[in-house]
This record gives sequence, C-alpha cells and structure tokens, in this order.
Amino acid sequence: MDFKLRRPLEASSNASSSMMSEISRNLKPGLPFIPCDSTNICYGARQEQSFSEFPPPQVTQCHGLYAREQKTETKNQLEPSSAVNDLVMDWNPRLMLSNLSFLEQKIHQVQDIVRSIISQEGRANELAAQQQLVTADLTYIIIQLISTAGTLLPNIKNALLSATPPVAQTGVVANLPVNASQKHHEVLSVELAKASEYDELIKDLNSGGEGDELIKCLNNSVAEVSESIPIEDHDIKDYDDGMDGENLPPGSYEVLQLEKEEILAPHTHFCLICGKGFKRDANLRMHMRGHGDEYKTAAALAKPSKEASSEPAIIRRYSCPFVGCKRNKEHKKFQPLKTILCVKNHYKRSHCDKSYTCSRCKTKKFSVIADLKTHEKHCGRDKWICSCGTTFSRKDKLFGHVALFQGHTPAIPMDDAKVSGMSDHVQVGETTNGMVANMGYNFSGNASDDAQSLDIKDVDDGQGYFSPMNFDACNFGGLDEFPRSAYDVSESPFSFLSTGTCSFIPRNGEN
Amino acid sequence: MKRAHQQHRHQPFDSILAALSVDLLIQILERVDDPGDRKAWRLVCRDFLRAEALHRRGLRVLRLEALPGLLRRYAACLDLLDLSACPGLGDHALATALFAGAGSWLLKSVSLSRASGVGWRGLAALAAACPRLESVDLSHCVGVGDREAAALAAAEGLRMLRLDKCLRVTDVGLAKLAVGCPALENLSIKWCLEISDIGIELLAKKCRDLRVLDISYLKITNSSVKSISSLGKLEVLSMVGCSNIDDEGLQFLDNGSNSLRSIDVSRCDNVTASGLTSVIEGHMCLQKLNVGDCFPELAPLFLSKLNGLKDSLTVLILDGFQVSASSLKIIGVNCKNLSEIGLSKCKWVTDEGISELAAGCVNLMSIDLTCCRMLTDKALMAIGEHNKKLVCLRLESCSLITDKGLEYIGTGCPKLEEIDLTDCPITDTAMKYLSRCWELMILKLGLCDKISSEGLVHIASNCQNLCELDLYRCIEVTDDGLAAIATGCSKLQKLNLCYCIQITDRGMKHLSCLEDLRDLELRGLHHVTSLGVTSIAIGCRRLTELDLKRCNLVDNVGLCALAQYTGNLRQINISYCPVSSMGLCKLLGTLKCLQDVKLVHLTHVPVERLELALRAYGGQLKKLKLFIGLRDLLSPWLIQMLHARRCRIRWVDKPLVFSP
Repeated sequence: MDFKLRRPLEASSNASSSMMSEISRNLKPGLPFIPCDSTNICYGARQEQSFSEFPPPQVTQCHGLYAREQKTETKNQLEPSSAVNDLVMDWNPRLMLSNLSFLEQKIHQVQDIVRSIISQEGRANELAAQQQLVTADLTYIIIQLISTAGTLLPNIKNALLSATPPVAQTGVVANLPVNASQKHHEVLSVELAKASEYDELIKDLNSGGEGDELIKCLNNSVAEVSESIPIEDHDIKDYDDGMDGENLPPGSYEVLQLEKEEILAPHTHFCLICGKGFKRDANLRMHMRGHGDEYKTAAALAKPSKEASSEPAIIRRYSCPFVGCKRNKEHKKFQPLKTILCVKNHYKRSHCDKSYTCSRCKTKKFSVIADLKTHEKHCGRDKWICSCGTTFSRKDKLFGHVALFQGHTPAIPMDDAKVSGMSDHVQVGETTNGMVANMGYNFSGNASDDAQSLDIKDVDDGQGYFSPMNFDACNFGGLDEFPRSAYDVSESPFSFLSTGTCSFIPRNGEN
Repeated sequence: MKRAHQQHRHQPFDSILAALSVDLLIQILERVDDPGDRKAWRLVCRDFLRAEALHRRGLRVLRLEALPGLLRRYAACLDLLDLSACPGLGDHALATALFAGAGSWLLKSVSLSRASGVGWRGLAALAAACPRLESVDLSHCVGVGDREAAALAAAEGLRMLRLDKCLRVTDVGLAKLAVGCPALENLSIKWCLEISDIGIELLAKKCRDLRVLDISYLKITNSSVKSISSLGKLEVLSMVGCSNIDDEGLQFLDNGSNSLRSIDVSRCDNVTASGLTSVIEGHMCLQKLNVGDCFPELAPLFLSKLNGLKDSLTVLILDGFQVSASSLKIIGVNCKNLSEIGLSKCKWVTDEGISELAAGCVNLMSIDLTCCRMLTDKALMAIGEHNKKLVCLRLESCSLITDKGLEYIGTGCPKLEEIDLTDCPITDTAMKYLSRCWELMILKLGLCDKISSEGLVHIASNCQNLCELDLYRCIEVTDDGLAAIATGCSKLQKLNLCYCIQITDRGMKHLSCLEDLRDLELRGLHHVTSLGVTSIAIGCRRLTELDLKRCNLVDNVGLCALAQYTGNLRQINISYCPVSSMGLCKLLGTLKCLQDVKLVHLTHVPVERLELALRAYGGQLKKLKLFIGLRDLLSPWLIQMLHARRCRIRWVDKPLVFSP
C-alpha cells in the first residue's frame, strides 16, 4: 500500500488512528485493483466512506482500455470482494463466483471488440491495436481461469493461505495481466507445490514468443498506470538495509513486526512514573535514579541480564510493516531485518519522506539524519572533476575515465589553487582548450593580480560570458566536443597582456 | 619589422660586408669556439654583431635586465633559451619578453630551472608563443604545481620535460601533461612527492613514446612499475630511493619488451638480488645498472646473471656493497666491456680484487673507489697497468696509498681528466707524477696537508686544462703556488682555498688574472684583506659564488669593490666578517643577481641597518642565513615580506666564537 496514497486518509482523522489502520487494512485488498479498471471500485468505495479528498486523477487515468461500460457492473463487485477478504480462509465459493463473473464480463468485452473490428474494417492502425487488445485480453482470461482453478486444488494448506497476504489473494483475482501472470506463476510455484502442471502451462504462455510480446506491449500501454503501483518498486531497491547474504531457512527464526507508529516514535523506553521517553534503556535506568533510592541499587541499575542461557536463544528477525515491501514477512521473497535499528532505518529510508536536505548541495535529501551527516562529510569535498564536467567521488575513478576518453583531463581540484578567494565555479571551470580558446576574453587585459582577475568574472553566468563566438573565433585545433557547460569557465593566462595575444597561434600557423 | 628594415638598409661603402659576405662571416664565426673570443667578435662592429646574432642558436641570460634587449636581437634564430639564472623572472617579464618576438619564435628548448618566479601565466604564454617547443626544464621550481603543469600541457609537441622537485605537482598536473603532451619522450618527475600510482598509471597509458623516465624518490608502489612496464620504448628508468618498490615490482619489468638500456634502483631499500635478477633476465641488452645502497651483499646468483649481459653492460654501480675479491673477479671475467664501475664505500675491496677487475675490464674509464680504505699502491699499479683509457679516478680517503701508487697512474693513464685524492697521505712528489696527465681538468687535494706550492708548480706547468682545483685545508700552500696556478691554469673556474692560512693579498693579486673563475672559496684566510678581495673583484668579473666567511680583515672596502665589479655574483658568504652597515647596504643595494646570502654574526652591523639593507635589496633572494637571535629583533613585516617573495631564511643557532 502506497504510503503517499494513504496519507490523506490519515490526515483526515488523526484521533482515531487505530480505527484508521483498521480501515486501511480493509482497503488493502482493494489496492491491486488500481492498475486495471476495477480500481474505480476501490476508489468508489472510499468515496462512499466519505474520504472525498482523494485525488481524482487516478480514476481518470484508469479509465483506459477496459473501463468503457463497466462502471455500473463493477460496482457490484465491491461488496463481495471486500467481504470475501475479511474471511480469507480456504476455498471460498463467493470469491470463486466473483472471479467467474468477472471473467464473464471480460469475455463480453472481448466479444464487443471483435464485433467492432468486424464492423469497421480498413483502418490498419486501429485494427492492429485492437488485435493486440484482443490477444491480451484472451491471455488474461486464460491466466485468470487457471488461477481460479488453482484455488480449487486439494492440497492447499489453510495456513499457507492465511499467511499469504491478501494482496496475493486479490492479485489472483484482478491484477494487471502482467503482474497477475508473474505473480501467479510465483505464487503457484512457491506455495502450491503440486500445481506444477499449471506452472508449466503458464510458463509456456509466458515464454511463448507471442505471449511475451503481447505482455510487453500491454506493459507499455499501461505503463503510466502501473507507475502508481509502488509494490514492485520496493522489491527492487533497499538491498542495503542489512541482513543481506544471511540465509536463514524460513521458520528457523521468530519474526516480529513493529507497527509504524512504534518505529517512528522518537523514544522507545518510557518512565513509568513521569512518562518521560528515552532512546536507550540505560538512559532510562539512569533517569530512574531520580525517582527514589530503590532505583539506585546495583540490581536496578544493572543491565537486565539475558536469561535462559541454557536453552538455545530464539533467533529473532524483524519484518517491515509496509505491505508489499520485500522486508515485509508476507512478501514472496521475504528478507528479514536483523535488528530494530535496521527496521527503523529501513522504514525511514524506504517508506518515509526524505525530509533532511543537505545544506551544501541543496539537492541530496535523506530520511535518516545519520545518512545526511555521512553525506555532508563528503559533500563538496574530494570532488574529482573531469574537463567534460563529469564528477567523481574517487580519484582513481576519474583517472580511469580520463584514460578512457581522448582529450579529457582532470580539472584542478580546490586545494591546489594558490589563488585565494576563488569561487568553486572558477576552480572547476578549467579545460585544456578553454585555456587557449578563451584567452583574452575573460579579462579585460590589465588585471595583474591572480585573485582580482579571477574574481572579475560573474561566476553565476558562465554561459553568458562566453558567447559562442569566442569558441568559433579562437578554436585552436581541437576538443570542441566538450559541451560548453558551466565547467567551461576558464582562466586566461594572458590577463596581463592585451587581447591581441590571441593572434599568437594563428600567425604561427601561417608561418 | 624593425629587423627587416635594418637588414635591407643600404650598407655603408666601407662596411666589412663589402669584402666578406654575411655567409662567410658566419663560417668564420663557426670556427671560433672560445666564449671569450666570441665576446670579442661581437664587439668588433655592428656587422659582426649581426652575423653573430644570425649564427647564434642558444642563449643563457645572466642578468634579467638584459633579457628584453637580448631577445629583441636574437628572437628569430634561437633554438635554446636558458633562463635558469634569472630567479627574479616573473610571469609578466617573461610574457613581455616573449611578446618581443611574437610570431617568429623558433624556440625548441627553454630552461627555467630554479627560475621560481614563473607561474602558470608565464608558462601558458610560453606554450602559446612557441609552437615548436620540445623541451622545457622546470626543475627545482618548488612553487610549480598543477596549474603550471596544465599551462604547459598546451605545448603539444613537448618531448622533454624536467619537473624535478616541483613539489606541488600532483597526479592531476601529471595527467594534464600526459593528455596534453602525448609525444613526451623524456620526463623527470624526481621528488614530485605528491604523485602517486594513479598518476603514473595514466602517464603510462597516454605517453606511449616515453624513452627516459625518472621517478626517483616518489612514494609509488609496485603497481606503478607494472604500468611502466607496459611502455614498449622505455630505455632509461631511474627509480632512486623508491622504498615502496620491492622485488615483486621489479618482476613486472621482466615482460620481454627488452627495450630497457639503463636502470637505476639505488637506495631502493626493499629491492634484493632476486628482483634484480629478474630485471637482468628480461633485458639482455642492459647497458647501465645502478644498484647502489640497495642490499648489503652481492648474491652469487646476481653475479652469475651478469654473465648474460656480457657484451652490453658498460656501467655498473655497486656503492655500499660487500664486494669480495672473488666477486670482482667474476665481474672482471664477465663484463669485458665495462667502462664505469662504482665501488664507493664498498667493504672488503682489496688490492687483489681490484687487480682482477682491472685485468678483466681493460676498457674501464671511470673507477670510483671512495672510502675503500684497504687499498694500497698495488691496486693503483694494476689500474695503471691495464686501464689505459682511464678518465676518472676517485680515491678519497684511501689512506694507505702513497706517492708511489700515483706514479703508476701518472705513467699508465695519460687520459686522466679527473682525480679525487681528498684525504690521501700524498706529497708534492705525487703531483709531479700526476702532472704527466696533461688533460687533467679536476683535481681534488683537500686535506692533503703535505702538498705545498712546489706540487702546484708541477701541476701548473703541465695541466693547462685544469678547471677545478680543491685545496681545502692544504695549509702548506702559499702565494707562490697560486702564482704558478694562475699563470699555468688559466681556464680555472672553481677554486677552493679554504683555510690555506698562509695565503695573503699577494696570492689574491695573482688569482685576479683568472678571468674564467666563477666559484671561489676563501674561508678563514686571516691574511687576506679588502685589498686582496678588491683585486679579485676587478680581475674575476665572472665570479658567481664567493665565500669570505671568517676572513677577519675583509671590510667595507672589499664589499664595495665586489658591489662595483662582480655584477654576476649569485652567492656570497660574509659571515663573521668585520663589515659595517655601509658595505652591506652597498653590496645588497648594487648587486641584482644575488640569490643566496649568508650574513651570520655581522657584529659591526646594527639590527636596524641590517633590516634596511635587506629591505633595500631589489633582486630575488632565495636563501638567507641569519643568526637566530635576530629572529625577534627584525621586524615581522620584513620577515613576512621575504617569505612572500619566496625567500627561505635559515636561522643559525651558533654562538659567536672567534676562531683562533
């Protein structure tokens, strides 16, 4: 569930947060509907629940291909589906029914399209698009059928199903064709050990050249829609939250999941007497001394010992409360987090706004303050810059770049400048050919002092300073492949000579 | 334009050109070798001067103020411009001077060594003005950094570059040069301590034509050697004092490119025989091998590998090793073509070993036996017998050799040009033998306290080419000896007379006829007065270095004479001299070329006058030596100003003691 989407809901009622989470949990199953037409239902449902401030654009966006005349019909679907999801148990005939009726609609739709193709022959463009549509729809229907049948398999474990997130469940019902097929593939292969024949079938479908293309084209056509699904995104990023490489077999550890509020709370240890919060237990114990002598005993101040050393300690791992996240225990490739600190950092980094902006570069943003501090240590400093404007954090990387590209040279770094009071820009702005090409233009010709002459320039507007004419007029054989970027600002070696110095090289060339 | 006009001007009827055309004049001039004679030629008439200007290819500027005029005259023809004696040369001056010949520069080689006033602007102007620039020497310009390197990188055709001790050049500057000057063939980045493996790697990738590379004293590791080994044309590699490089690094050089002719790994502490063995195996045409002060003992494996270099090896430097007689024998047998061997400070070098070596390597031209204290006359006998081509022999501190030994040298080695006999117990008789080597140019007799004027008379009678003579603490030498030297060795350029206490003004008077004298040390001569110094100043106009420390009788008059006549003086030491503020002000106020001044314990100069004199100095001081007590007495403003002008002040913490 996208955090951003959920926020307006929370904003509307802060007081009853517990109730809110209840509602949002209820809404979760509806989420996978977003990409396809049935999203409307989902939003519709919300509107019914008087969360009217929900932004409408999504709705219009989702009007796409399938949503032509379904509004009325699909509305009916809401009640069963949400009701169904509340009792997610083993095989559910209602769910099955709703799936089937949905498929029926789908088939009708395809029929409509085919009819329209028959009626308006000739226009090739439309025809091709419609053909694609038809094939896509048919594929989708097949997949849905298989998956619906899959739920009927006798070997499904209740436990498994209940552990399976409603996402997966509803994903079965109505996800995007692409997502659905992939998801199903995985769901089946992972959870339904004996459903291999279905597996095969889907594989064939997926691997078959036509099917592939079709999925691709579908993917393209609804790309904008799928952008609003954050689920897959979260799968891709966040590898650096610890725990990677640890291959604990599932079940060998206990999984804890903290609530979002718990994670984001500034303090985790509270004084039972005055209610003051602390980040560390040790600090709390220190604090407790103020509440009386009984807290001053060595036993009270000692670190609570880790008991039960005789029996093997249970390995504890943590799950991210964000559904769809890879760190969430319901994710198909769940990777647990090792410590509470990992959970906190992961949650802030991945699912919270990046509210800390670097004061130096003003571009980098962070959600964990430690990350900001780490960045600020390096920001602006140790910047290795190539004459082409590319920056590197490491010197060897810059030199590797320089070795690779003809004519590129490293720009002279900050600390080497003997000139004080030079701005970054001038520092940076130094290219091989720039030195020659721009001579006599930067400086009016009488400045004799380094600092002065270099400061003359208005660094903010390097581009304006060098008209293209500069380059054309004084292009001495080369390297104009460099973009005239901000780095093009260069010092003239001839600040003490008249601008006539420019003619040195051309004249010699004639000789 | 002006020049052209002059050339086309109608010649006066009585001009020499009526008889001799410019071509002929130039042909005549080509046969005039002596610089003094050339100077005389220039003074004959304008046409001679013009002919000389057309003929001249190289120019070394001694005084900055003459630079613009000289360049106006010579700009069109010069190949080589040496500005190393102009530390005061700044960007502005250089650019203006280059502007004089704008558009017509054919300069190929420019030396700015020690001209520390030139910055990136000047170098950029140079690179832009001289499109044919091939060689630049910036060694010992300690202020040169990346910016300067970047400016120089605009000279695309650069083939030779010396950046020795350009302390601020980093990998970035080197990268600029490597990218800007891909044709570099000869590069020295000795003592550029900021350069690391990364820079060397890029250099090796960009400058594929490198033939000569000096990376001495850099803090580079084996990976640099690996990148260097990819240079297929590399012939000369110097890596003195690279302690981070070990055998593993040297093994990279064994890559079969086989181009290396010379390698210098002296003072690389972590290199051992096995590393060198791999180098020798990889480069069977190695001509020069310097492994001095690397590892203590010569391994048999290494010696046997030398056999592989039998024909090619000509130079072998083994300073600081334990070299037994058998080792020397193996070298003598294996390296028949050896022309130079260095055994300085080697232990266990015996007469037997030297005899074997001398018998084996008959082509030896240079033998360094400094501090081989076990050697006796027998070794010299062997050398005199076998090494007829010997040019250079160093025997400093060989305290067992006698006059007899030098007789063998004098008779056996007629081509000897340089001999170092410092601290050897020899007498005037030895000088008599040595005088047979009539090509002798450098003679060092320091601490040979038995040498008297008689010996010098022998030398002076036959060695007319002598240009360097060291008589440090030869206390028997008198004015008569100097008279003989002054008349017999008129080409003398360098003379050390420190603590030859018998010498008086009369001796100075004799010396004053040595017109070529450049470097004169007169430390501790109690009998020399200002009169003597005056005669030196008048006679030896080319003097650039003068040491008058503890000349107790030299006062203002001497300094005034120096100020007036020796305009090229660059170094002077007048510590402990009884000069007053007047003389000092005159000296510093007049001489413009002074770079290095030592003014310790000038007891007759008040502090404020000293400060005034230092402030008044108009040239470019690079080094100044002062008594530490003055540090707090001189105004901080002055010290700051001197530092700002790149002058280094050395504070001496020695109490004032008058030597007996």
